[in-house]
Amino acid sequence: MENMITVTDITSSYGKRQILKGTSFTAQTGECIGIVGANGCGKSTLLSVLAGTLKPKSGTVIYGDQMAWNSTGTGGMRGDREVIRRMTGYVPQENPLIPELTVYDNLRLWYPDKQTLRQELEQGFLSLLGIKEFSTKQVSKLSGGMKKRVSIGIAMAGMPPILLLDEPSAALDLACKEDIRKYLLTYMERRGTVVITTHEESELSLCTKIYVMRDGILNQADNHLRGEDLVKMF
Amino acid sequence: MRQRVQYLYLEMKKTIGMFPRMLLQAILLMAIISVIAFCGIKSMERDPLAVSVDIGVVVREDNTMTRMALGYVENMESVSQICSFTQMSEEEGFAQLERGEVAALVILPEQLVEGIMNGQNPTVDVIFPRNARLEAMLFRELTESGAGLLRVAQAQIYGAGDTAVEYGLTDHLSVMEAEIDSYNLAFALDRLAMYDEETVSATGRMSVLQYYVAAGAIVFLLLAGMAAYPVMQQEPPAVQRQLMRHGTGMTWQYFCRWLCGFVCMGLFGCSAWILYNIAGILAPDAVGTVNAALISGRNHVSAGVRAVMVLLIVITVATFIYMLYNFAGSRTSGIMLIFLCSVLMVYLSGGFIPSVLMPQIMQSVGDKLPTAYLIRAFGGLLAGYGDGMLSQCVAGMCIYTVVFGVAGYVCGRRK
Repeated sequence: MENMITVTDITSSYGKRQILKGTSFTAQTGECIGIVGANGCGKSTLLSVLAGTLKPKSGTVIYGDQMAWNSTGTGGMRGDREVIRRMTGYVPQENPLIPELTVYDNLRLWYPDKQTLRQELEQGFLSLLGIKEFSTKQVSKLSGGMKKRVSIGIAMAGMPPILLLDEPSAALDLACKEDIRKYLLTYMERRGTVVITTHEESELSLCTKIYVMRDGILNQADNHLRGEDLVKMF
Repeated sequence: MRQRVQYLYLEMKKTIGMFPRMLLQAILLMAIISVIAFCGIKSMERDPLAVSVDIGVVVREDNTMTRMALGYVENMESVSQICSFTQMSEEEGFAQLERGEVAALVILPEQLVEGIMNGQNPTVDVIFPRNARLEAMLFRELTESGAGLLRVAQAQIYGAGDTAVEYGLTDHLSVMEAEIDSYNLAFALDRLAMYDEETVSATGRMSVLQYYVAAGAIVFLLLAGMAAYPVMQQEPPAVQRQLMRHGTGMTWQYFCRWLCGFVCMGLFGCSAWILYNIAGILAPDAVGTVNAALISGRNHVSAGVRAVMVLLIVITVATFIYMLYNFAGSRTSGIMLIFLCSVLMVYLSGGFIPSVLMPQIMQSVGDKLPTAYLIRAFGGLLAGYGDGMLSQCVAGMCIYTVVFGVAGYVCGRRK
């Protein structure tokens, strides 16, 4: 199987504080990579780099055979935003939704045209998320689970082959968590690659590889580790 | 590009969709502020000092000359404004003075006028009660002033007589005395004759009504900005980052918000205009009277200039509000900042009290504030623009718009 994501020696810092200290991992097509770790260890920072919203200090990121981030040779970093945008869908912790607009209008912002959006709502991935039922509702009136589903729907605009999810199940009820788990399984069955940061054990069951982030470095953990055994690695 | 246009379209849609609610909030807000302002003004209002001093007059010798002299004193401008004279007997006068019914008693002696004419100058007794009140004190002042005037008049007559005798011009003495008399009488009876009529207004070219309508319109637009928060607020950070990820940069996002804010403020202005016209249909007489008073004869502003000025006013206000929201960062602080800045700036610019009535330093500061240009620009729509005033207003508003726009952008980026 080909490598869909190749991350090599990524470093990143906020001011003087170095968050990522040479993070590396690979993910193959259809895989789900789970990243766990203590709060503030750099999981979200890594996802921000992969999603192109944060510029790394050094290292390379390759999606398929296309360079997303690499060094310019003069100490700087060059990112190909078009490759990143086309190859990845990003679900940040906070939902990227405009609360005063309806769900449909929010989706319109990210989907290329009305026809594609309607098709997606009727038969595509958005129909699996069940968004059509509440597409005319104003976002501010939605529940947390509904908002998260719309956020995933937004990330799926353009059907990217890689889905990056930053703690998607945080503060959701059990039914919502289960729904999201099902969508991710379907996505992976359709040869989608998932990178997910999580604190939820139920989501770890989806993962083909689990990495523990500690002091800005990723260490691969045994896939069957759970509970205290996994926490010991933090 | 598609996403940029789509973002702008959706922001506009949001603005239009939310406008009725924002307008309602703005109207409620204005109503509350107007009620507070009205109560404040009412509580501070004082009735003008209305003094009526009743004076008793005893005429010991009632003849035509004495009545003429009394009539002359009664009709002096300064006396007639505050005093009313009642002729009475001496006993009655003292009794009323005792009871406090008159503030003073004037006793005119016999041969009063003749005595004045022949230089004997008989004494006129003016009797005040022992514990004189304000009215009596006022009349005392008036009496002393009157006595002073008479002394001056007599000095003039004697001076003229001595001069005429010295230079052998006694033939002309009667003419000189007549001149002096008419001169003194003219000033005593009507002091306004001493002055040329020149109207000086604290509101400049504008009438008081025009001035306060202009100031009120600017206050309305500024305070309506408090209701425009949903349009002017920054998008949630997650949306901003996602938009940037897809190529819609921060500059475009800021531009779209500013544009929506401008549209929103424009709609506020249009709504106020529509409401005024509806009032014109419901109460044509009242609104017609106000209209007639609002549009003065000096109003020679072409339709094109009007349109440009209205546009500039709305742009300046929208950019100002946009900057304050970006600076504040949150809804509550944004609303508070708009209220405080607007009220303070409008006050300093003379929106509540004309600036000429304020201390010099406040005038100097207020004159340079954006609200001063805005009030003048709006006032010009009603009263016309004086020499250089149009270009001054346009330049002031353009400069402030650029300054606010840049400051708003920088503040937003820093947040």
